[in-house]
Amino acid sequence: MTDFYDVREIRGYTTAIAYDNGEIDEVSTHFLSGAAVRAIIGGSYGFTTVDDPANVKDAISAAITLAKRLDGISPRKKIELKAIPEGKNEVYMIKKNPADISLMHKQEMLKAVEDEMRSRDRRGLLKSTRINYSESYGHNIHYTSDGQRIEYDLYRTGFSCSAVAGEGSSLQAGRRSFFNVGGFEVFDQCDPLALAREAVDEAYELLSAKSAPSGRFDVICDPELAGVFIHEAVGHASEADTVLDGDSCLEGHTGEQIGSELVTVRDDPTLLKYGYYPYDSEGVPSHPTTLIEKGIMKSYLNSRETAAKLGGKPGNARAGGLARPVVRMSNTFIDNGMLSKDEVFEGVNGIYLKGSRGGQVNTGEGVFQFNAVMGYLVKDGQIGEHIRDVSLSGNTLKTLKSIARVGNDLDFHSGRCGKAGQGVPVGDGSPHILIKDAVVGGSS
Amino acid sequence: MINTRKLLDLAMRLGASDAEVYAMAGKIVTVETEHGELGHAEESISIGAGIRVIVDGAEGYSSSNDPTKYEDTVRAAIACARARPRDPALKGLAHPWDKYPEVRGTFDQRVQEIGLDQSVDIADRMIKAAKEEEGVSVTAAKFSSIMTDAVIANTNGINVEDRETVIIGYVDVIIKEKDDVSTAFEYDISRSIELDLESVGHRASKLARNSIGSQPIKEQSCDVLLGPHAFGDLLEATLLSSISAENVQKGRSGLMGKIGQPIATKGLTIIDDGLLEGGLGSSPADDEGVASQQTTIVKDGKLESFLYDLYTAGKEGRKSTGNGIRGSYSTPPKVGPRNIRFEFPRSDVLKETDQGIYVNSIIGAHTANPLSGDFSVECRNAFIVEGGTLAQPIRSLMISGNIFDLLRKIDGMGSDDRPVGTIISPTVRVKNIKATPGA
Repeated sequence: MTDFYDVREIRGYTTAIAYDNGEIDEVSTHFLSGAAVRAIIGGSYGFTTVDDPANVKDAISAAITLAKRLDGISPRKKIELKAIPEGKNEVYMIKKNPADISLMHKQEMLKAVEDEMRSRDRRGLLKSTRINYSESYGHNIHYTSDGQRIEYDLYRTGFSCSAVAGEGSSLQAGRRSFFNVGGFEVFDQCDPLALAREAVDEAYELLSAKSAPSGRFDVICDPELAGVFIHEAVGHASEADTVLDGDSCLEGHTGEQIGSELVTVRDDPTLLKYGYYPYDSEGVPSHPTTLIEKGIMKSYLNSRETAAKLGGKPGNARAGGLARPVVRMSNTFIDNGMLSKDEVFEGVNGIYLKGSRGGQVNTGEGVFQFNAVMGYLVKDGQIGEHIRDVSLSGNTLKTLKSIARVGNDLDFHSGRCGKAGQGVPVGDGSPHILIKDAVVGGSS
Repeated sequence: MINTRKLLDLAMRLGASDAEVYAMAGKIVTVETEHGELGHAEESISIGAGIRVIVDGAEGYSSSNDPTKYEDTVRAAIACARARPRDPALKGLAHPWDKYPEVRGTFDQRVQEIGLDQSVDIADRMIKAAKEEEGVSVTAAKFSSIMTDAVIANTNGINVEDRETVIIGYVDVIIKEKDDVSTAFEYDISRSIELDLESVGHRASKLARNSIGSQPIKEQSCDVLLGPHAFGDLLEATLLSSISAENVQKGRSGLMGKIGQPIATKGLTIIDDGLLEGGLGSSPADDEGVASQQTTIVKDGKLESFLYDLYTAGKEGRKSTGNGIRGSYSTPPKVGPRNIRFEFPRSDVLKETDQGIYVNSIIGAHTANPLSGDFSVECRNAFIVEGGTLAQPIRSLMISGNIFDLLRKIDGMGSDDRPVGTIISPTVRVKNIKATPGA
C-alpha cells in the first residue's frame, strides 16, 4: 500500500476597511495562498505547509518523511481513518460578488453607518466610533492520495460597529456586528443602520447600569449569550478528539440523561450561518449532528480518525487557514422549545443577561465561565434596573440539568472560536432560556 | 529573501511618495501529543511581505505570501491609498537611525539546529516527568521551536534585519480519582535552548495533585495572591489596551487624561522594555524601523507615558516610543507593548501572607471590560493560604473587581517573574478582593 496523505490548497484574498471616528483608518487587501499536507504513517501524523502550492510535491515528501521518522522514534498504535462518505454537497453560491462592488461604494455604506451612530448620539456622550468591514474569498481544493478530490469557493462578508460613550469618568462600549457566509448580499440579511443605533443605545444604557451583584440567581439568557453558553459548556466537551485525550467531562455519558428534557443541542454546518461549510478540512461532506436530544447525550463531533475509534460520522474536522485540522463546531445551537419569550420570563425573580463578551471552558473538569455585556434585574418577570459586567460560571453537567425553560425564538450570532490557537468562524444559537440557581459574579 | 528594492522602486513609479516593505520568513517545527502520546510532527515554512505606501498623503496597505503576487500587492496597496483622502496626521515613515541599540539573547543558533529527533527527545522528557506523579494523564503536550527572519526596508533608506528564535514547551494534565477531577497546565518559553522542560512537567502534575480534594469556600473579601499566569492574563486583557496611545487618542482608554495622576500603588513602577535581554518582545528596532527603547509607563504609582508608534506620535508632535508592532506581515503596524516589567520591592509574598487565597490561573480573562477595567473571572488551581503556605485547594471560585482599583491595592510582589504574553509577571498580593464560591 502506498503511504496515505491528503492535501489542502487554498488561494484567496481578504479586503478590510476600517472607519474610525468618521475617518478611514485602514484600507487593505491581503492575498493568501498555500498548501497544507498531512501524511499518516503507522501511528504518526506528519504535517507540512508551504506558501506556494506549486511546491506541493516537496511538501508531500517532507510530510511523509516526518511521519515516518516520528513513527520510528515514537511508535504508536496505527491510525485508522473512517472512509469519506459517498456523495457531493451543494455549495452555496454567492448572489453579489463583493469584488464587483467598488471600494467607494463600500466606504459610503460604512459612512452611512457612522452617520447613523452620530445622529443617535442624543446627549452628546459619544466619544468614539469604529466600523470594520471585511470580505474574504477562498478557493479550496482538497485531495487525498487515494484519489478523492473536491473543489469549491467560499466567501464570508460582514461588518461590525462599536460605539464608546462616556460620562464623567465612566466609559462604556456598545457593539453590534453581522457576518455571514456569502457575498455582498449579507447586507440584505441585516439592517446595518438599525445595528448602528443599537450599538449606541447599548453604550448609553451601560453608562447608567450599576455593577452586578454576585451569588446564586435564576438567570434568563438571551439567544446570543445562551449560544455562547452552549458552545462553551457543551460543544467543546463534545469534540471527540478532546474525549480521546481524556479531557472531556462528557466522556462515557453517551446514552445518559445529562440534562433537562427541555434541552436539545445540535451542530449543523449545512445551515447558512457563519459556521457554514460544504465540506470539512478532511474533504468530508458536511452534515448536521444531534449532540443532546431531550437531555440525553447522543453523539460527539468527529474527524475521520475519531469516528473510526469511537463510532459516529466524520465531518467536523476544521482548520484555520493552513493549520492542521482538529475537531471543531460549526453552527451550534439549543433547539427551539415550546415557550414564547414572555412565557420564559413569567414570574421569574432573578437576572436577565444579554450579549456576550466571550467565554472559556475547562473541558476536563467541565467548568466554564462566560461574560454578558448587559444585564437587568428581573422581578416577577418584569425587567428592572440595568446591571453590567456580569459573569456566569458553572459546571456543565450541573447546569444542563438546571435549564428550566426554553423559548421558541431561536436566533444565531456569529463568532470566532479559538481552539488549538486557530481561529475559525462559528455560529452560536439559542432561544431565550432560564437557568435556575446559576452562579453570577459581579463586582458590587 | 524578497527583493525589497524592486518592490519599493515599483511603488515609487506607481505614484507613492513613500513606501515600506516588511518581509518575514519563518519556520516552525512542532511535535505534539495525540491522545497522550507523541503522534504529530509538523514543519511549516512561510515567507510573506506587507507593503505600506503613502500616496497623496494617504496610507494604503497590502500583503501576500504568494511569490507570484508581490507586484500585484504593491498595486493593491496603491489602490487602497488612492481610495482614502489625505490624512494630515500622517507624518511619513521612519528615518534611519545612526546606530540601533544592541539587544542580547534574542537569537540562539542551537534553536535553529533543533531537528525532529531532538524535539521528540525534549518533549518526551517533559511528558515523562509529568507522568511520574501517580494518577496523572497527559491530555496535551507540545514542543515548538520557531525561527524568524524579518527585514524592514523603506524609501527613507531604512534597511534593518532581525533574526530571532523562540522555543516553547506546554503540558496539560488531568487526575481522575473516584468522583474527583483536577487539571493543571504549565509551560515555559524562551529565546534560548536553555529551558528546563522536565521541571514544566513536574510542576504541572504537582499542581494537579495538590488540587485534588478541593472544597468550596464562603463568599468573602480577602487578600488574594495572584500567581504570574493570573496576574499577567488579567493585565493583558485590560491594562495593555488602556496604555496604547491609539486607544487614548480615539477615546477608548480608561486612562485618558490621567498623565501625572496616581493610578497605582505608591512605589510601583511599570516599564515597557524593548531592550530586555532575552525578552520575547525585544529587538533592535520595532516593526516599522524605529529604534527600540525603554519607556516608563508608571513611575512610583503615577501615570507617566502612553506607548506610541510613528503615526500616533506624529499626531501629538512627539517621538515614537518604538511600539509599532505587527502580529504578522499581513497587518500594518499598530501600537503594542514590547516587554512590560514591574519595579517594586520584592519579597516572599506567600510566606508573608497569614490568611488569604492563592490563584494560579484564571478562565475568561479575555471577557474583562477593557474600557472600564471591570473583571469577573473563574479561578483555576486556587488554594486557601494559611500561615504562609498553600493549604486546602478551593473548588470553583470567582474573583471580581476592577483592574485600575487592583493596581492601587497591590501590597506585595514576589520575585518569581516569568513571561506571560508580553508581561513579565510575578506573583502579586492584592488587598481586599471579592471572592465568590462557584458552581
